[in-house]
Amino acid sequence: MDESGLQQALESISSVAVAEALALVVIASVLIVLIQKLASALAEKLSGKPRLYLLATVPLARLLIIVVTVILIVPILVEPSFENMVAIFGALALAIGFAFKDYINSLIAGLVTLYEMPYRPGDWIEVNGYYGEVRSIGIRAAEIVTLDDTVIVIPHGVLWNTLLANSNDGSHNLMCVAELFLEPNHDVAQMQALLRDVIYTSPLTRTYQPVVVAVTDTEEGMRYRLKGYPLEPRDQTRFISDLTARASEVCHEQGVKLLCRSRRE
Amino acid sequence: MSTETDQEHPCLPGGLIALEQWQAPETSIRKTLRTGVRDILDQLRASIHPEEQAFRSLDDLPLLTPDRLRQYAPPPDAAEVTRAILAQLETREALRGRSVPFLVVPPFSGLARSLADSGRRVITPPDNLLLSEQDARSWWQRQLSGDHWVIPELADFWLRHRSGLSLLKELFALLASDKAGTGLIGCSSWCWQFWANYLPELPVAPVTPAPLDGERLVRWLDHLARSQTGQSLTVRMTHDGLYVLPAPEQAGQIKYSSFAQDLASLARGNPGVALAIWRRALRARPEAESEGDDVKSEGDLEAVTSSGPGCWVAPLDQLSLPAVPQSVGRHSSHVLHALLLHEGLSEEQLALVTGLSHREVDLTLGRCQRAELVTVADTGTYFHVTPLGYPAVRKYLLSRGYPADGFGE
Repeated sequence: MDESGLQQALESISSVAVAEALALVVIASVLIVLIQKLASALAEKLSGKPRLYLLATVPLARLLIIVVTVILIVPILVEPSFENMVAIFGALALAIGFAFKDYINSLIAGLVTLYEMPYRPGDWIEVNGYYGEVRSIGIRAAEIVTLDDTVIVIPHGVLWNTLLANSNDGSHNLMCVAELFLEPNHDVAQMQALLRDVIYTSPLTRTYQPVVVAVTDTEEGMRYRLKGYPLEPRDQTRFISDLTARASEVCHEQGVKLLCRSRRE
Repeated sequence: MSTETDQEHPCLPGGLIALEQWQAPETSIRKTLRTGVRDILDQLRASIHPEEQAFRSLDDLPLLTPDRLRQYAPPPDAAEVTRAILAQLETREALRGRSVPFLVVPPFSGLARSLADSGRRVITPPDNLLLSEQDARSWWQRQLSGDHWVIPELADFWLRHRSGLSLLKELFALLASDKAGTGLIGCSSWCWQFWANYLPELPVAPVTPAPLDGERLVRWLDHLARSQTGQSLTVRMTHDGLYVLPAPEQAGQIKYSSFAQDLASLARGNPGVALAIWRRALRARPEAESEGDDVKSEGDLEAVTSSGPGCWVAPLDQLSLPAVPQSVGRHSSHVLHALLLHEGLSEEQLALVTGLSHREVDLTLGRCQRAELVTVADTGTYFHVTPLGYPAVRKYLLSRGYPADGFGE
């Protein structure tokens, strides 16, 4: 790196220029926070595709603001000549590379996230055993809200070496599975038909999406998996509860006993 | 363009078409964008002003008297519609020889009433719809023993409950094995959509009335008025004086408003919904006479109206149609969806199909009635979605992920 070039570049920075640059950073930060808050508040009022579209614009708007801010700040601080740029960015890269390795790792992963979109706001994802809805995607980390209303902050850097499961991948179609274990020696075909009716008659079912009742014979009993799509991804807990309750009623009517965990073990 | 069917059966413009051929009336990109933006703004505004739900007119022009309304915008003549349907069923190549034609109709079309008056033996549903499959089979065998039967509304024969599906499952099984005799089935489009998903291999190829585009709507409204007054009705817009009726070929060079196209688009080609909005929009006199150069003068209007009755119509954007309260939870949407799926239900039945308690159903119905989205039938037992509230309800249910009928975008 050319030390004299860096020195020259830094010497030309005046206190006024620093103040202007800081003011721009503050304005950009306020703008980003405002957009995030406003979009979140509006998204709560909307439903369907408009909600997803609105949430998806937040990371892009933030990226745009950051890029514009950098473009505006650099000419304020230094003369944007080739030598000055090489000197400043070289020095910054070296300093940041050592001091904020993990942080930068997450920032870069955050940029990759914007490009590859492994998850978007509104998606239901599972990372390292944590499952929830992506509430926001920040510069360094994403926030998910679990079904128990707990906020989990996931640094984007985790993505480099972790498996990520996305349940709806940007759409409103999220398959849910309600699982039952039943005592064997009953009419399986009839039970499958009855449980299919259970899914179709739940008011929370998207009947235009596939409905499946899978059954397997396990050591723990006959395992039935009722697969269907709830009206909205946010209904998944209610949907699974509704299917389980209705299926239990059917089993009771048919005289087929449900196996609870303790009895299965 | 006016077709042969339109002239032959003005009460059933466009005749019957295969369900797959149905297309929503065309609308401009500008209008689609405007509607989309307005929907989003409505959703946001509804949470700020939740009280603004029910219908209100944004003008202060006098409405038509009930007598005038009956004269100018009467409901379709059931007997005439029946004759048109039966004639269409007989003449359509694809339907000839089919023992049980299947007619899928959008809500409020009034075709169920027409089919009930068709002179055929009407099959009415049993009091108890929760039957075992064996009982359902026996019931149908008794009902379908003779020929020339008609089921005006198939949605009356089932409940969305695990014990309420048997009757229709058995009927479709009989239809598949061609053991149902000779009859005619009418079915609401919402009910049909459920069963088409539930039984994807259904052995029927339904037909449906063609959607009303702007031109057909004008001719149909003209026909309705003419059936009562014996003359063409002249209707002009209250704000700019442009003409809506009479149908174009009768009025020569006069300039027409795009009201009919907009109404057809708003009602999604559904005649029942279009007629309900039309009745709400008719006015006895305009707020101010239009003096525009490009519009016929008042003297010209008098010349036109001198040959028949005349009235005025308020622009659609001056009508605030009922809106679904956005702040409601799933209860209201479950109830509204169930009502459309079954073409009306009692409180008891609503509790059964939605899984809500009687108290919750009661509260929800009260709220929907106040918002003019739901009305109770004359018998006081069955609740229905209102035709004026239907466009908003349909849009709301779609946005909440509910399965809607096939008469979509």
